[in-house]
Amino acid sequence: MDWEFFVQQIVNGVTLGSVYALIALGYTLVYGILKLLNFAHGDVFMIGAFIGYGVLILFGGSVSPNIPIPLLIVLMFLAAMIGCSILGMTIERFAYRPLRNAPRIAPLISALGVSFFLQNSALLLFSPNFRSYDSFSLYEGRLFLPLSAGPLHISPIRILVITSALGLMIVLTLFVGRTQLGRAMRATSHDREAATMMGINVDRVIVVTFLISAALAGAAGVMSGLVFQRVFHTMGFFAGLKGFAAAVVGGIGSIPGAMVGGLVIGLAESFSIAYVSSTFADLIVFAILIVVMLVRPTGLLGKADIKKV
Amino acid sequence: MSKIEPEQPRIGVDEWVATEDVLRERRRGVLGHLRYAFDRVPDGARFGVFILLVALIPLLTSDEYILRVAVDTLIFALLALGLNVVVGWAGLLDLGYVAFFGIGAYGYALLSSDHFGIHLEAQFSVPIIVAGTALVGFLLGLTSWRLLGDYLAIVTLFFLQAFVVVTTNGNSISFLGLTPTTDFTGGPNGIPGLDPFTIFGLQIDTIQGYFYLGLATMALVVVMLYLAVRSRTGRAWHALREDSLAAEVMSMPVNRLKLLAFMFGAGIAGLTGSIQAALVGGVFPGSYDVPLLITIYAMLILGGSGSLAGAVLGAITINVSLEVLRDPNHARWLFYSVILITLVAKLRPWWKLAAVLGSLVGFGYAVNSIIGALWPSATENEGAGGDAIARGVQSWVIHPAQHATEIGNYGFVALIALVLLLTVMKDPWQTVALVPTLYLAAFVWENLLMATIEAQAATRFILLGALLVVLMAVRPNGLVGQTRVEVA
Amino acid sequence: MKKTIGLALIVATAAMAATLGGRTTDSAAAGVPCDGLPMGFMAPITGFVSFIGTEQLHWAQYSLDKFNQENGTTFTLSQFDTDGLDPALAQLGATKLSADKTVFGTVGPAGSQEVAAAGPAFKKSGMAFVTMSATAAALTSGKYPTFFRVVGSDNQQATGDALFMAKKLKAKKVFIVDDQESYSTGIADVAGKVLRTVGVQVQRESVSQKATDFSSLVSKISSDTDVVFLPWQVAANGQLFYQQMVEQGKKAKIFGSDGLDSGDFTAPGRYISTFARDIRGLPGTAKVIREYERRYGKNWGSFGPPTYVAAQAMLTAMKKACKDKKSSRAEVLRNLRTTRLPNTILGLPVQFDAKGQNKFAKFYVYRVTGSKKTLVG
Repeated sequence: MDWEFFVQQIVNGVTLGSVYALIALGYTLVYGILKLLNFAHGDVFMIGAFIGYGVLILFGGSVSPNIPIPLLIVLMFLAAMIGCSILGMTIERFAYRPLRNAPRIAPLISALGVSFFLQNSALLLFSPNFRSYDSFSLYEGRLFLPLSAGPLHISPIRILVITSALGLMIVLTLFVGRTQLGRAMRATSHDREAATMMGINVDRVIVVTFLISAALAGAAGVMSGLVFQRVFHTMGFFAGLKGFAAAVVGGIGSIPGAMVGGLVIGLAESFSIAYVSSTFADLIVFAILIVVMLVRPTGLLGKADIKKV
Repeated sequence: MSKIEPEQPRIGVDEWVATEDVLRERRRGVLGHLRYAFDRVPDGARFGVFILLVALIPLLTSDEYILRVAVDTLIFALLALGLNVVVGWAGLLDLGYVAFFGIGAYGYALLSSDHFGIHLEAQFSVPIIVAGTALVGFLLGLTSWRLLGDYLAIVTLFFLQAFVVVTTNGNSISFLGLTPTTDFTGGPNGIPGLDPFTIFGLQIDTIQGYFYLGLATMALVVVMLYLAVRSRTGRAWHALREDSLAAEVMSMPVNRLKLLAFMFGAGIAGLTGSIQAALVGGVFPGSYDVPLLITIYAMLILGGSGSLAGAVLGAITINVSLEVLRDPNHARWLFYSVILITLVAKLRPWWKLAAVLGSLVGFGYAVNSIIGALWPSATENEGAGGDAIARGVQSWVIHPAQHATEIGNYGFVALIALVLLLTVMKDPWQTVALVPTLYLAAFVWENLLMATIEAQAATRFILLGALLVVLMAVRPNGLVGQTRVEVA
Repeated sequence: MKKTIGLALIVATAAMAATLGGRTTDSAAAGVPCDGLPMGFMAPITGFVSFIGTEQLHWAQYSLDKFNQENGTTFTLSQFDTDGLDPALAQLGATKLSADKTVFGTVGPAGSQEVAAAGPAFKKSGMAFVTMSATAAALTSGKYPTFFRVVGSDNQQATGDALFMAKKLKAKKVFIVDDQESYSTGIADVAGKVLRTVGVQVQRESVSQKATDFSSLVSKISSDTDVVFLPWQVAANGQLFYQQMVEQGKKAKIFGSDGLDSGDFTAPGRYISTFARDIRGLPGTAKVIREYERRYGKNWGSFGPPTYVAAQAMLTAMKKACKDKKSSRAEVLRNLRTTRLPNTILGLPVQFDAKGQNKFAKFYVYRVTGSKKTLVG
């Protein structure tokens, strides 16, 4: 049994899964409050990646940055998160709020419209060439040099991604669990009408939810750029798809579910490619997911939906 | 312009009174009388006239391109009709719908080409294909026994992705290494060289032939669905859509209804797939994927989910718009006329409209001369040519000679911000702000969106996206959908 | 509101009918005057591989402008966007360009699948079309009588690459990955077959162009693999693959094909096989490159120059057909068969054989380190 190979897949899967988990969290938060599948989420992720790239270039690029690298990375995250929050709030205000009382499918189409708009605007503004963070050149490639401990080989950049994803998730869980605004969010997702009656400003809660969701997507975008480096206008589509799958598999509406779902998908992907077949890896992942869904219809950690008559 | 408000249901008012009020309002004026007369024409006659008019198209033009667009529209309409059964009537969010379309197409490819050497005529292959696709629909529908709403959506989406993977890599499939590797789906190259659609010995290989085939099929499907929706099953589907729990309590076999809906939708998609495969003369894996799914959903929702006419209307609107927008002159025409029409509709007192338009023209020339005086080099550029309208607009808008792209980029972002701000402003500031916003819109249009060919290509989709968002905000039930009240 | 929408729909429909209707009055006469004659062009200008399509578009535009300048002609470009390598759209494009009676020849489409879909439509309308990047061998089997190609075929390239790897690089074990597009699988399959017949061990994998991460795939490369062969279209993907190879300590040499011949892929000591010499080093091309870069910027790879040459061939045929002030599709088709460009910016001449293949198309293998490119095969 090749332990190194096995552990390598775990490392790959967890890295991938962290990015997916962040995207999944965004989906789950919005769904919990509005019962809406925000299909434009993947494209917010893409814009986040572009914003991070813009900051990177602004400060000299990865080969010879003008400011210390840790500061640069922090700035990239901040800029992407802030930029995407604004974008997220704008989308909510103009594409979803008018449709609050419309049939469920109208916001879906609106989301698709936003997605088209964002993707092709990015194409228009940034040109079709693939951009690369080239984080490989940061510290002359040392970020990609693996640290070893027995069969475990993990490069610093992956450690960075995994820990920041974990950090964000912990912050989010604390926020939703301990703060008043977090309580308001939970109440609203449970029963919107009752929350209004309790004096919670539902509109504000929704705006905050979108803000957080989009900020997470922005962070995920920068992370993806750092470890996977390629930035292009259609990157939101597949990442969004996998993130959405992760949210549903973990139980949509459940925050720990999104994290678990992300990990499951990331690991499934890595292991399928490594041990079964690189060609049909996606197929296998989907098959696994379908089976999981059939066995536990509300997702792994989802709450059984009790419908009130 | 007031804030967009959704229609509130008039609870407590007698339904008959409500309908009568609505009818009385519609009967006013010439247009109202026409509508009233139109409403009284029975459905069958309306449909018959529509079919007749459409059937005249190949006689009016021999332009192969237009006919090809027409056939494509018919195919889209068929797909939208099938999706309507699943989404509009039964209320099931099926995100794997185009996989059935692909199965139908690949089925035709396998049964009527040199790939396996089978050359069945359509009267044999089509029933096989429809039955096969319905069977797959049945199998996929079985998952809906356990899954509700959005979970069903994700499973169907997975199914679609699985289909894409299989068709892309299906050129060396061996079952668990036991059977010899066979080229099943032609892999990334697809299966080219399909037989033309041959039914009872009649071979269809002209575009007009396919047009009539598509039209006949659509007519058949519409009639079938029309009868279906008025049957007990159709009513049961409606009940299922509105409240599945109540339907179950009313002893409706909810699970069986869901399966039936899936099968119906899948069967229609499969039938359409076989026609499309014959039309294109080949099947290729990338064609049956999410972008197509999004297009069909957009068509159905735009037209009005739950309505047959809506499905067809949505298909026509979106497909024709996309094709029209290919030509930059047409796109320009459409862009400016839509803006003008919106202004006409929204600026009520006619003097307001005149004031805005007048000041807009003046503003443009003013800006042109001011910038021209300060930075002569900026206004030198004459802009790309085009027809008369284009040239007229171009003399009015500034064309910066250098840094056109950067200015255009910033202008684009600024325009979006301005438009959004505009919707939250109140009169009179709103009317005043309209003028620079419109000028900026024209500026960005000319300099960025229409400037280069690749920009034009991207602009089509930007417009489509914006159109979808705006249309949903204004008419969330689609063009001809019925207003529905969703409880909880 | 309803009335306005109704009104808007009516107006829009009328407008569209009017503008579209105008097309049916195009002249169907056999001889059409040559002023402002459009040359058709099809490429994936939007969509996932829009960077390929836009590069091809720019070089085609450049070629057209230069030709007009040097020959005093007034040809124009009639473009069609195939939005990704979409065969259904390619067919629509072929139909549209065929329906336009003033288009007598087309450059494009870019993908082999698209040619397969568009071919029958072009065959029916008798319009010649020259591709700059569809390299599937089956396309010149005679099935598409109006098809021409300026670059070589997959078979040629794959066989050459495989033999190079086996003989010159003395590889005993090769790891081949295709990117699930028809261009890639064609080359990968043939290369794999050839390698096996000369006794080299082949490990065959596949990954989607849209995949985010290659780490797991990279980890499958065994330590005794000599060469990793990536006949991919997207250079940025190749770069990520290389970086992850370094991250996991894989020492194999990388061998790529034309798609990886771009500034985005910078693995030192890599081998690239291209269907053209890198025109940046050739005599006589410096001026052309300078002018192009002044207009469109420096970011271009190997998909552009063949487009330039394809357009050149088409325009030459069109000009010859226009000598008698009138032209037609059949004339352009005939002229293309006899067109000979003795020297092009690709460094090789162009002349098409009976099946449409450029007789002089060759493949070159380069070894690149830093900015130094050495021709090795």
